[in-house]
Amino acid sequence: MSFKVINPGFSSSIQDYGRIGYKKYGLNQAGPMDEIAYCEANHLLENNFNNAVIEIAFGGLEIKVEAETSISVTGADLDFEVNNKKIPIWKNLQVFKGDVLKWKKAVKGTYSYLAVKGGFQTGILFGSRSTNIRENIGENLKKNDILKFKSSNFPISRSSKNIPNYEKKSLRIMPTCQFQKFTNSQKKAFFNQGYTISNLANRAGCRLTGKPIMLKKSKMISEGMSCGSVQISNDGYPIVLMKDAPTIGGYPKIGTVFSLDLSFLSQKKLNEKIYFEPIDIEEAQSKRLIFNKHFKIHL
Amino acid sequence: MHKVIPAGENSILIYFGKEIDSSLPAKIKKFSEVLEKKFPNFLIETIPSYTTLHITYNLDLYKKKYNELIEEIKKIPENKTTIKSRLINIPVYYGFEVGLDLETILKEKKITLDDFVKIHSSKEYLVHAVGFSPCFAFLGKVDKKIQKPRLKTPRVEISAGSVGIAEMQTAVYPINSSGGWNIVGKTFLDMSLKNPLNISKFNIGDRVKFNPIDKKTFIQNGGKL
Repeated sequence: MSFKVINPGFSSSIQDYGRIGYKKYGLNQAGPMDEIAYCEANHLLENNFNNAVIEIAFGGLEIKVEAETSISVTGADLDFEVNNKKIPIWKNLQVFKGDVLKWKKAVKGTYSYLAVKGGFQTGILFGSRSTNIRENIGENLKKNDILKFKSSNFPISRSSKNIPNYEKKSLRIMPTCQFQKFTNSQKKAFFNQGYTISNLANRAGCRLTGKPIMLKKSKMISEGMSCGSVQISNDGYPIVLMKDAPTIGGYPKIGTVFSLDLSFLSQKKLNEKIYFEPIDIEEAQSKRLIFNKHFKIHL
Repeated sequence: MHKVIPAGENSILIYFGKEIDSSLPAKIKKFSEVLEKKFPNFLIETIPSYTTLHITYNLDLYKKKYNELIEEIKKIPENKTTIKSRLINIPVYYGFEVGLDLETILKEKKITLDDFVKIHSSKEYLVHAVGFSPCFAFLGKVDKKIQKPRLKTPRVEISAGSVGIAEMQTAVYPINSSGGWNIVGKTFLDMSLKNPLNISKFNIGDRVKFNPIDKKTFIQNGGKL
């Protein structure tokens, strides 16, 4: 049982929850850019949280269904159609042999997720099916790729109860890493301005532009980094580390964005505005624990 | 006690020192192994680096295990540690065709190619960190006589196997990538993840020795100019 890729679109890749336990070797987690949409896609099909899905960036993907199964589509509005008919997303639905699924163009947001009942059965490398282009692990979908799945029962029809509001512009950030080393005026400058998403945003990092934060030249020794940490580069602009970021780096970090707010950041497009607001680590932890419990995430 | 700071909602950084020091990799490695053994389900990731250990923990077990982890960190001994470390030999062709910055370095340092090769290859280097990319090992310390800061403008592409110098560090680029280090030679060894076993080729605390080879040997073994 499989799907066949008719048109791979701009950039579509297989992602599961990500690669765990290899950071000490310099290999980062990868996994979905928008964890909320990813988890919801699997949840709608009663899948395991780690089942592999297709992450579709910017649209253009066209897929032919070669066996009856259930799917769900979540995330960005990429003008999703089944057999040239517009279909609402954040729902599961049954598809049949010969159906054509199409993500025509980016209407709102960047990343959409296609989950299939039971998950896509692609190759596993270092404990995960996630594609990591930066490290040449797997590759983006190509024309004529056959994507296997093992379908069984069909879940009852349902739609998402909590669709994230992607209009949200504020990112909650915890005081971590070198936060204490930034001066009060630097912190003020960081929290009191709106930043713009630059064209240098990708799966490794999201570069923002705004009024630069001037740093005194100081020697920092490279250290391990967390996903979501915000580096201030030499030119004074923030870079938010995303799923494919390098594991170690030597720029000072002013804080770490709450993991679930990275979903909202990942869906922003070029020139969209965001700003930062503080959150306690304890509050972020309890919010994340609720999420993990709801989606049955067990590491 | 070693300084511990939060790095995220489920990660911390432990500081072992303020300066790069050849005694730290052994200490950090040993301690990270102790923790991995003691907290098999709680610790999800460790990233040892020059002076720090970055830890990602399982948030679901935070209430049960976090204080225990902090207690363990308090027990890190202040004295030096020795560990068993591996010696990894890397054959390198130091030639002008592959060592794109050799000529500049020789001119600036007023030394011959033989001098340079001797200085760079006579030392056993210590792996201070692995990262940036898999199999990219930060090695130190390079002899002062051949140290050189990063290029002002990084190259768009450096070919896999290239050996570079940046100040007191030296390293092999495992895959084709952009980079700003001074390129002085090249190995024919494949360090990419095309061979999945390469993932653990280098560990912090391991030692690396560069063995000079001639052009013929380099090419016979599949090296590309």
